[in-house]
Amino acid sequence: MRGIGRVLAGLLVVTITSLLMVVPVSAEKVKIEFWHAMGGGTTGVIDRMVADFNYTHPDIEVAVQYKGSYRETLNATIAAARQGTPPNVIQSFEIGTRQNIDSGIFVPFQELLKPGEVDWNDFLDPVLNYYRVDEKLYSMPFNSSNPILYYNKDMFKKAGLDPDNPPTTFEGIIETSQKIVDKGIAKGGITWALHSWFYEQWLANMGQNLVNKENGREGLATEAYVNSEKSLKIIKWWKELYDKGLWTNPGIENWSQARQNFISQRTAMLITSTSSVTSVTNSGKEQGFEVGTAPIPIPAGETRNGVVIGGASLWIVKNEDPAKEQAAKEFVKWMSLPENQIRWHKATGYFPIRKSAVDVLEKEGWFKQHSNYKTAFDQLLETKSIRPTQGALIGRFMEVRTIIEKAIESILNDQGSIEEVMDKANKDINDSLQEYNRVVH
Amino acid sequence: MDSRFGQKKLPYILLLPSIIVSILFLYYPAIKSFILSLYKTAFFGMKKIFVGGENFIELFTSPDYLNSIIISLIFSAGVVVIGLAISLFIAVLVNQDVKGVRIYRIGLIWPYALSPAVAGTIWLFLFNPTAGLVNYITESLWGISPDWISNGKLALLMVIGAAIWKNLGYNIVFYLAALQNIPREVLEAADVDGASDIYKFFKITFFFLQPTTLFLIITNLIYAFFDTFGVIDILTKGGPVNATTTLIYKLFIDAFQNYKSGLAAAQSIILFIMVMGLTIAQFKWTDNKIQYGA
Repeated sequence: MRGIGRVLAGLLVVTITSLLMVVPVSAEKVKIEFWHAMGGGTTGVIDRMVADFNYTHPDIEVAVQYKGSYRETLNATIAAARQGTPPNVIQSFEIGTRQNIDSGIFVPFQELLKPGEVDWNDFLDPVLNYYRVDEKLYSMPFNSSNPILYYNKDMFKKAGLDPDNPPTTFEGIIETSQKIVDKGIAKGGITWALHSWFYEQWLANMGQNLVNKENGREGLATEAYVNSEKSLKIIKWWKELYDKGLWTNPGIENWSQARQNFISQRTAMLITSTSSVTSVTNSGKEQGFEVGTAPIPIPAGETRNGVVIGGASLWIVKNEDPAKEQAAKEFVKWMSLPENQIRWHKATGYFPIRKSAVDVLEKEGWFKQHSNYKTAFDQLLETKSIRPTQGALIGRFMEVRTIIEKAIESILNDQGSIEEVMDKANKDINDSLQEYNRVVH
Repeated sequence: MDSRFGQKKLPYILLLPSIIVSILFLYYPAIKSFILSLYKTAFFGMKKIFVGGENFIELFTSPDYLNSIIISLIFSAGVVVIGLAISLFIAVLVNQDVKGVRIYRIGLIWPYALSPAVAGTIWLFLFNPTAGLVNYITESLWGISPDWISNGKLALLMVIGAAIWKNLGYNIVFYLAALQNIPREVLEAADVDGASDIYKFFKITFFFLQPTTLFLIITNLIYAFFDTFGVIDILTKGGPVNATTTLIYKLFIDAFQNYKSGLAAAQSIILFIMVMGLTIAQFKWTDNKIQYGA
């Protein structure tokens, strides 16, 4: 018996080695996997871009997969990495940056590059400012957006307001909304999803950090500033709008309901992401009204510091095979090329992230034809490079957002005074920050 | 037995498959989550530190967790009491001899075949504060437009309603079967004695329905506690301000949104103890405490 076993084992070894020797010859292609979170029509845009990449890169084959929301994509990646079968490139949202770095499953993008391989001077500053941590780019910015004000020009005309002069201050929003509602032109003045993102944008715009340690960029944050004076200013305004029946509540993180409120003309104004410029403008046209855009409002008398870049970036997952990491790098670099960025911007409304891409669009007259994109762009380019607009780095950002959203919701529902609720929220965030630091470091 | 099989091994070999399945899918995960509940974790356990009973202390001193216990109790009481009352009422109605009763029966049992996601979406459309059918009706009739999403009490009511509706078919089937099993002689004897319909229902019918009712109370409790995640996730996501965050939804949020696997494991241990209690209750009461008829 033993003799036969040995012979069999020997045969097996011979077969396997011969197979291994054949493999490198027949499969030159490096196969990598790309997981993303772009649903709806955008899935098709990504698919076509990946197909083009595969066509122009005969030695690499990218398999692309839509993995649900950003959160689901990240969850799936962590789970796959633990089992030893991770994808090679994933799209992850901006607020996951701290966590992705600490998870240790990604290769810092810049470490894969030779000096001068990517011309970072060509990238827009606000984008680099967000994604650069400790002087290093851990990921390649990909889809970027920020919030702007959309308004119904026809309703403005009916209310006797100047359709080319939308409100830019908190006070102006209240005044305009009041006129719209008083004259019975719409049920509500303005709407936006009850999302912490907008709150964070206002805070940054007023020059206030969200957390300490320079917004978590000079070490791990340990304390939040959601009970600061500027924070309370935002909440008080929000509450006033709600109490006067001027702000229509679409529900927590309910982007689509907010859009629906505006498109079905229940409100005259909407604040949402610039990534909706195309669809909101077109839907408005279908409903027979013209959509105008403006920068997000801030309190009168405050200096405008600009917005925090939102969106996502591409991360390369660590792999034992350097060839796969290199292929992943090629793919990520390709996605950020100016021509691909222009295509991406035109198809989705997300910003192109390179100066050369912006130049081409300007020469083409793109912004003249599509003035609503210009609003978004100017707001981004006029952003000052300070800590608050750089965006906060927080480990459990999702939890922090939930805390903020629940706090705002309970204030709107009169479950406690603004100061009380925000103090408690601040304490809850501090606990979250400190627990994260304790576990991770 | 020994003499018959000749050795003690055979029964164990026959039991092996189910033991392996139980160990793999039941005991191993249960022990794992018990161990995990003693840790604070990040990234699904890629990093963790031992904290002993801290997770449990944190839970029972957290107003949010205590609140989710209360919400769970209100929610399950609503689902069980209102749900069973409506089911019994409908079951009695469709137990009558009317034309087309089969069609009614199928129509009433039908919601049970829907997945929670579909049921949730239907209710979401019905109760959408700005575009929903329910508010269209309330507005045209009474000029009011209740905000089912951002008012905590209404949201809880809506979720209870959806959960009841989803499970209605299940309850009706059991009640209908029980109603048809009531011996006719007893009811006829009551008729002869000149008992009123109401008297007959509460003294006779209800008496015969006791075992079914007890069974349904327990299964509905288990349903309300553990199987209503889908409806809540689609309708309210636990909001507004935790107003519909039940124990199971809180566990989900901590595990998959806040990445606190340790804390979530501690919550699953607490839920595990609750299920155990309910199961023991079910075995005890449905077997021993109810006797009737023969």
